Amino acid sequence: MDQNTLIQAIKRMLIEELDLRGKAPEDIDEESPLFGAGLGLDSLDALQLAMAVEERFGVPVPEGEAGRAAFASVRALGEFIARARAE
Amino acid sequence: MTTPPDRIAVTGLGIVSALGGDAPTTFERLIRGERALFGVGAFETTGARSHLAAEVTGPLPDAEPGSLELSRSDRLALCAAREALACAGLGESVESGERFGLSLGGTTGGMAHAESRLFAPDAASAGLERARRLLSHPLSATAVALDRLVGPFSSTQTVCSACSSGAVAIVQGASWLLRGDAERVLAGGVDALCRMTFAGFDALGALDPEPCRPFDVARKGLTLGEGAAFLVLEPEARARARGARILCFLSGWAVGSEAHHVTHPEPSGQKAATLMARALAVGGLGARDLDYVNAHGTGTLANDAMEARALLSVLGSDASRVRVSSSKGQLGHTLGAAGALEAAVTALSLERGIAPPTGGLNQPEEPALRHVLGTGERAELRAALSSSFGFGGMNAVLLLERSDAAPRARRTALRRAYVVSAAVALGAKLDESAQPALHAEPFDADPLTRLDAERSRRFDRGAAFTTWAALEALSSAGALPATTGLAVGNAYGPVERSLAFLDRIRERGMRFSPPAEFPQLVHSALAGNASIYAKLEGPVAGVAAGSESGPAAVACALGWLELGQAEAVVAGAIEPRDPVVSALLAPGGERGEGGGFVLLEPEARALERGERPLARLVAHVEERGTQRDPLAWTAPRDASRALVLFTPSHPELERWIAESPWSCVRRIDTTASGLSHEAVSGQALSLGVDWLARGLDELLVVSGGLVARFVTRLSTWDAGS
Repeated sequence: MDQNTLIQAIKRMLIEELDLRGKAPEDIDEESPLFGAGLGLDSLDALQLAMAVEERFGVPVPEGEAGRAAFASVRALGEFIARARAE
Repeated sequence: MTTPPDRIAVTGLGIVSALGGDAPTTFERLIRGERALFGVGAFETTGARSHLAAEVTGPLPDAEPGSLELSRSDRLALCAAREALACAGLGESVESGERFGLSLGGTTGGMAHAESRLFAPDAASAGLERARRLLSHPLSATAVALDRLVGPFSSTQTVCSACSSGAVAIVQGASWLLRGDAERVLAGGVDALCRMTFAGFDALGALDPEPCRPFDVARKGLTLGEGAAFLVLEPEARARARGARILCFLSGWAVGSEAHHVTHPEPSGQKAATLMARALAVGGLGARDLDYVNAHGTGTLANDAMEARALLSVLGSDASRVRVSSSKGQLGHTLGAAGALEAAVTALSLERGIAPPTGGLNQPEEPALRHVLGTGERAELRAALSSSFGFGGMNAVLLLERSDAAPRARRTALRRAYVVSAAVALGAKLDESAQPALHAEPFDADPLTRLDAERSRRFDRGAAFTTWAALEALSSAGALPATTGLAVGNAYGPVERSLAFLDRIRERGMRFSPPAEFPQLVHSALAGNASIYAKLEGPVAGVAAGSESGPAAVACALGWLELGQAEAVVAGAIEPRDPVVSALLAPGGERGEGGGFVLLEPEARALERGERPLARLVAHVEERGTQRDPLAWTAPRDASRALVLFTPSHPELERWIAESPWSCVRRIDTTASGLSHEAVSGQALSLGVDWLARGLDELLVVSGGLVARFVTRLSTWDAGS
């Protein structure tokens, strides 16, 4: 999966798993933070996303600081998944 | 009309828990510091982060073979109910003709029973038929079973406010006694351990992989449990007259919601602190009078930190003196039973003068609180709080006092005149023709489109309808106080959604159970979602009573209003379209959807706001057998300007109406009008209010059967003034 395909798949995952009704993939900024100010997600969303990343991409998301870094933005999540898959 | 009793005495209690099949055994083992948190035996927990729970392992009573099919929740409840009645010196069942109410709280009903079918080896090939138990053992089924096996009760109620359900049910029971609607009440809660709650809490990361450690610095979450507990409540004078032993008094209560988040508590603890202070104030007590608090203390990071802050705030300089403990480190978190189970533990603590410990607590995170460590502490305990904080911010606090407490003036206002300030009907409308008629009107739009997309994420059709109806009712009634409550009647809960969640666990194991989905599956989710969206901070709960869920929700709302827990309450019922329910209940046929809500408030309050009420609530009663409430059935002043709406279509119900002083009043069978779902009586109520604005003077809504039925009488507001 190339980087662009991965980013699109992550955006679709966000919309489906977090029930972002009315949002399309192009509405989601790759750089802006997922939590707090950006998409306005909370820790319940983080748990849902961690489950979905493992289910859809086969990559478990660690708890704590490493997990928070992976969820910094769509781009950060893409890099985290690509790196984990390469290992 | 009876005069309000001075105090509410607790004259009996029963407990079935993981520590024992009765209250004395449970309490003895609690104060010895024993813990019942072991590996789950009831089902596979493969893939889960935790594998522990507090399960009831002893034998449970059952119905006679071939009579009733009882779920595990039913059997747990039956065990504790019989003990409570026997403890109160009332034998093992209620005498016919007594005005004895049953008020029950729970969250999962027959889910454990339904799961045993859904997870059977042949389940995948059984199609929808495998889900039939979800409908035959809904949340209300336990009350029906207890009515059959230890009743007959004069009124029954099943409430769900997540983990405060058992405490809220006890408060409902208190309201019946203070209103004079019952002379004695069996009130409590029950929940059986099931896969759905286990997988859900596990997915939320809320389960400690080790036995839970409430208030400890090392705590990592809760441990689930199961059980049931009941209290027998009666007015003090009546208890003394029959020579009953008074275990303690139920002196205060507070029910309210945080309107904050579906799973997180409001972190400052201020909302919880306010509720504890309110419960003390109802009993005329302050922190100085308190000697013990049985905390909610789940063992999760968020709850215990919030609760410690709340306790410090309420107890003030008494914090170093008042003993605090959580029973969940020994009994597990029994969810809908917890509020009742812990109230019963608190009652025993007061009676025996022993504060039980917090199992698993070694190093308290908040040393300024006086935690009880290890084993129980013998102490002078005069009064105690028992707190319950549920998902969705649905909270309740009870105040109990030792049996030798001196009587004081109660500060609870009892108000009798109620009005309807707004009415919202969903999925039905009135016909404008000369003869009154009503018919179903299918929704033309997805209700979710009426709500803000971001704030209504994960709402289903039912949550969207409930929220929209609450907002409509509130806006048409003008400005309302924050202490507005919400009681949402619903027969089955989200069946299709629950089934999908369980199928996922069956197919993929617990590791992939979706955390954000789980909080939406509890029966209180409709009310919880709507209260958070509409910022309602009054009491909030789901109410389950089959096709009588609408009037049962109105009864619940009136209880809160009578106790001064809310200034106004939106109450009604909703039955959204659910493919599984339709396929099972109306195979190949038509099944409608819809609902109806009314905004109830004390007349004085509405007039203060300068509102002209839409209708006066003359009577709202639950009748049993051949009892006929005189206030509800007095002949209308002008039969030509009155109307009866009744449901379901049944010749005996129609005959009951025909033999009443309302015999010559026009009757409309609402079910026959095409309103074919369980929220029909909620719909009828809200449409009836509309009718009163169009020339009718008086209206009777009758729903149920000859065993039990609700009768609501409304008039135009000026008719009664």
